[in-house]
Amino acid sequence: MAIFRWGSGFDPFAGFRQLQRELERLARPWARLGRRVGGGAYPPVNVYTSPTEVLVQCEVPGLEREDLDVNIAGETLTIKGVNRPVEGEESMKFIQRERGHGEFTRTIVLPDAVEAEKIEASLRDGILTVRLPKAAGAEARQIEIEA
Amino acid sequence: MAEHKTVKVKPARRGAEEIAEDTFSPLVDIHETDEELVLVAEVPGVEKDDISVQVDKGVLTLEAEARFDVPGEDYAQTYVSFQPGQFFRAFALSDEIDREKISASVSNGVLTVRLPKAASVKSRKIDIQVCD
Repeated sequence: MAIFRWGSGFDPFAGFRQLQRELERLARPWARLGRRVGGGAYPPVNVYTSPTEVLVQCEVPGLEREDLDVNIAGETLTIKGVNRPVEGEESMKFIQRERGHGEFTRTIVLPDAVEAEKIEASLRDGILTVRLPKAAGAEARQIEIEA
Repeated sequence: MAEHKTVKVKPARRGAEEIAEDTFSPLVDIHETDEELVLVAEVPGVEKDDISVQVDKGVLTLEAEARFDVPGEDYAQTYVSFQPGQFFRAFALSDEIDREKISASVSNGVLTVRLPKAASVKSRKIDIQVCD
């Protein structure tokens, strides 16, 4: 059972978070010198919820299917991945280094129970999309108010 | 390994300042070899046709548009930290780069631009002759 829950409905801070990421990058130029992923909110994720489905998007540029590991345990979705170093990276002469490298794990607490068997994941142009159909009992139901 | 698609390198049409507003700056790695500079930029959600790599007056500009699907009205935005949008970044090229031979390719949301060095500036080992 998940302790922390997402809020519901319209998220007014969505745009701010994207802006914040950009500003942080400007404010901390030293972070450009070999940023290691793993800490902080990396990789960025989006969570969308419909009455029947939870949809998770995750930015993973440069990763192949084999580099990703998507797991579900109850209402917790875990995305693990590794930004593999290119061959001969140790001996390369880097002029600029901003991209993350190394392993990362992102845990997402889903807003509802989902059908673990029916989860589908796809990878396209560096964006991982996971579709999680809600479990039958988790769908919203109108409750009649008796007079 | 995903297939790398070639991106055409064209002369620039618009000024860098004009486009730089309202865009996100992609993270880049640049490394150098004896023959070339290799620039690797992260552009998640971008397809081959939505990338433009241009060279004008010694400035290399990367423009790309991420157009991945955003769920429709049936979906509530529970947590959103990235959205479709425009990537833009410009780099000044040194005269050492052979501008005619710049090539670019994209794979899995990562753009790779190869900037070969001009023949005249490639490092060359010079033989030392011993004078007796």
